[in-house]
Amino acid sequence: MNKKYEQLIADYLTGDLDESGKNELEALIADGKIDFMEFRAIEATFEGLDDLSVPKPDPIVSERFYAMLDEEAGSKARDGVAFKIAELFRALIGQISFPKMAYAMALLIIGGFIGSWVDRDKSEIEQLSQEMQSLKEMMMVNMLEGTSATDRLKAVNISSELPNADIEAINALLFTLNNDPSVNVRVQTIEALKRWGGNERVRQGLVHSIAIQDSPIVLIELADAMTELEVRSSAKEFEKVLQERELDYNVQQKLQSSIAVLM
Amino acid sequence: MNSNTDKALMLKVKKGELDKLGLLFERYHRGLYRYFFRMCRDKDISEDLVQSVFERLLKYRESYSGDGKFSTWLFSVARNQFYDHHRRSSKNGVSIQIDEERLEIPDEKDVPVQKKKEKKEILEEALNTLPDNKREVIILSRYEGLQYKEIAEILNTTEGAVKVKMFRAMKELKDIALSFEKEYNYE
Repeated sequence: MNKKYEQLIADYLTGDLDESGKNELEALIADGKIDFMEFRAIEATFEGLDDLSVPKPDPIVSERFYAMLDEEAGSKARDGVAFKIAELFRALIGQISFPKMAYAMALLIIGGFIGSWVDRDKSEIEQLSQEMQSLKEMMMVNMLEGTSATDRLKAVNISSELPNADIEAINALLFTLNNDPSVNVRVQTIEALKRWGGNERVRQGLVHSIAIQDSPIVLIELADAMTELEVRSSAKEFEKVLQERELDYNVQQKLQSSIAVLM
Repeated sequence: MNSNTDKALMLKVKKGELDKLGLLFERYHRGLYRYFFRMCRDKDISEDLVQSVFERLLKYRESYSGDGKFSTWLFSVARNQFYDHHRRSSKNGVSIQIDEERLEIPDEKDVPVQKKKEKKEILEEALNTLPDNKREVIILSRYEGLQYKEIAEILNTTEGAVKVKMFRAMKELKDIALSFEKEYNYE
């Protein structure tokens, strides 16, 4: 096959094909330059990759890493400039008289006080809020992997407290949306992801998830989210679902009305 | 710049704030483990390789320039670690390739008592059978969410070449899966 066709299909698989690319691909299939059956089989194989088990590391990996980090931090403190200064300071102490030392200490304290007074306001608050966000994000990602559905729901709710769309948080939520056995957790995850609806990764992830979802409630929730976020590319996915599955009448109606809005 | 971006965190690690590596570890150790495990199918080796990637990050933190995307750089380090390990193991006569073991197809007479293979199991076996360089592109794109451009940087090639490789890898995967389905008499 022509390399250009191969690149087109590769882009199509990862959802990176723009409208003109899609038209080109459709035309090539219509002209028989790309074998439709083969194309469809490759697409199905690509989609099937979603179902494969996800390897997870043992907690021992974290333990080893943090032990290494502690050791490195310890050796850094021993070898660092601060340590050398402390050594020098200790050597000097024996040679300086007490009044001189008291005077120097007083100057140091006053200087430090003034310095911290001037600098602390903004940067300190910013630093703190960023630290909080990191902690929340870490907690959320870990809780999403928990066995209890309640904990996973809590984790999803934590994401609503994160001010920025972080790629790790988004990936964790999308993974939950596509793999969590609990419908409630998945519905709540869609709600959480909607907050970051402007993010392209979120939009693509939600569209991609349509074909994966088997619960009518989750499908309806996704339809509402797609309409709200105006993700027009999702219409095709919903059409596919309507064609390929036997859905309850009400669900069909809901999807059809969403498609109408999205088209 | 947001001080919690990967790049900002790594620059802080470079400046000596070693605890910031913890957040990078939390963000990436699972992805790295998945990459290694899908490449070699060995839990212990994968865990060791994850550890060695972060050891390298610590050891060579001074040389981090902050150019390009952090995840691309990280996966380049990971890839080098993997292939170094692969080379060392091959030299010592220990191969981390266990393809043949994985591919073992049961004797015909064993099949009737054996439960039919699920489609996903067949696909998993087919994926494990792909040559490393093709499996790698699928793993990085499909499972680790890297863009073709980023994969091209990691593999030191062009974006177009990666797309072609991805297509051919998917085609080969599809063919292997189909042949396995026939082999297992899957309907």
